[in-house]
Amino acid sequence: MTLNLCVLTPNRIVWDSEVKEIILSTNSGQIGVLKNHAPIATSLDIGILRIRLNDRWLTMALMGGFARIGNNEITILVNDAERGSDINPQEAQQTLQIAEANLNKAEGKRQTIEANLALRRARTRVEAINMIS
Amino acid sequence: MSCSNVTMLVSSKPSLPDASNLSFRSAFNPFQLPSQNSSSSCTPSRPTSIQCGLRELRNRIDSVKNTQKITEAMKLVAAAKVRRAQEAVVNGRPFSQTLVEVLYSINEQLQTDDIEAPLTKLRPVKKVALVVCTGDRGLCGGFNNAILKKAEARIAELKGLGLEYTVISVGKKGNSYFTRRPYIPVDRFLEGGSLPTAKEAQTIADDVFSLFVSEEVDKVELLYTKFVSLVKSDPIIHTLLPLSPKGEICDINGNCVDAAEDELFRLTTKEGKLTVERDAIRSKTVDFSPILQFEQDPVQILDALLPLYLNSQILRALQESLASELAARMSAMSSAYDNAVELKKDLSRVYNRQRQAKITGEILEIVAGADALI
Repeated sequence: MTLNLCVLTPNRIVWDSEVKEIILSTNSGQIGVLKNHAPIATSLDIGILRIRLNDRWLTMALMGGFARIGNNEITILVNDAERGSDINPQEAQQTLQIAEANLNKAEGKRQTIEANLALRRARTRVEAINMIS
Repeated sequence: MSCSNVTMLVSSKPSLPDASNLSFRSAFNPFQLPSQNSSSSCTPSRPTSIQCGLRELRNRIDSVKNTQKITEAMKLVAAAKVRRAQEAVVNGRPFSQTLVEVLYSINEQLQTDDIEAPLTKLRPVKKVALVVCTGDRGLCGGFNNAILKKAEARIAELKGLGLEYTVISVGKKGNSYFTRRPYIPVDRFLEGGSLPTAKEAQTIADDVFSLFVSEEVDKVELLYTKFVSLVKSDPIIHTLLPLSPKGEICDINGNCVDAAEDELFRLTTKEGKLTVERDAIRSKTVDFSPILQFEQDPVQILDALLPLYLNSQILRALQESLASELAARMSAMSSAYDNAVELKKDLSRVYNRQRQAKITGEILEIVAGADALI
């Protein structure tokens, strides 16, 4: 019995194949999932997904969503997912700086909510790149 | 007159223009010869008949020919894009299907709990946000007008009820429409790309989410054009927020069903003509492990799921809107093309008749001249 991972976004299937191990960043901290994990449902924060294929680790930036684990099937539903290797480092760094500036400028409850979300997304993308190197 | 005909033809909308073009054609009598053969200017006295010199006629035939080519090309492009739009819907299918499954299984387990998530909170409505999805380009018949008219009607209705409103405009056409009307409060202008992606849906969802959570608005409505078939699309209003926990979480027969009973439109060719097939797909809810544990509070899990649901709803609306726009453009362009063909035929008939009359006249003159010499 092998562990199968399926990462779905509204646009496409990002990942659908066998993995050895994954580390998810959930709302209540990181959890590692190995074969024959107990069935759980968890919400995912904006954060990094780490995937182990044999001896290689891959990272993926997830933009918040939901994961369902059971029966050696992991289904991850997210708004957007990007592989660390697909992200342009310069662009990501720039977006992070813009997001930080926006948060400092933000006025009122609504703008703060928006700026915070944008900042966390930008930060995750930068982290996803840095994990590889 | 020649110009007015051409513009009328290009801006032809499927409903109105046919009538105007028909009236033009019926008033034009093909058996009537122009009274002056060599008149070089169009006579405005009889606006419905073709009375031009040979050169003008030739120019008009050329311009109509150009219009015909352009409209045909636009029609083909729109048809190709409909296919791409349909592919996008197909690619999004696994996601929406799994989402429905998960919502269903969670709903089963949460049925007994009393849940309150911020996105489902019902508040007394004081202010309503309207998300209006329009297209980026014109030349697609009454598509943009229909949705904007619907928005205006809804705004008037809200005004009548004494409620405040704000508009989030998506698409270039809507943006220019609302900038020309400064008395309508617009929260944000967004531009739709050529193909709606999750990113665009995310931008809208973020905006809507922050408006709703910060309690600036108490209700969010989505106005978009529902794709019914290639020749029919309806502008509709869909309540986005608050998501009703009754319809969606507690009762699977309510709100959730529209995602479960997903329809897939497919463009096919039938006897050389493009047609649309719609397949209703009833996603079966797989029995999921009954001993599913929740890592967090059910409330938190719902918090994570509902934005996903919101996003996929918006994305779906954008995709439907795009498909309707392209279908509207296809039919508008195909009727414009037909009109151009018809007009070209009429014009060349008149042209040939005039040419022949002129040649006859010249021969007569020569013969008369030769007669006079003898």
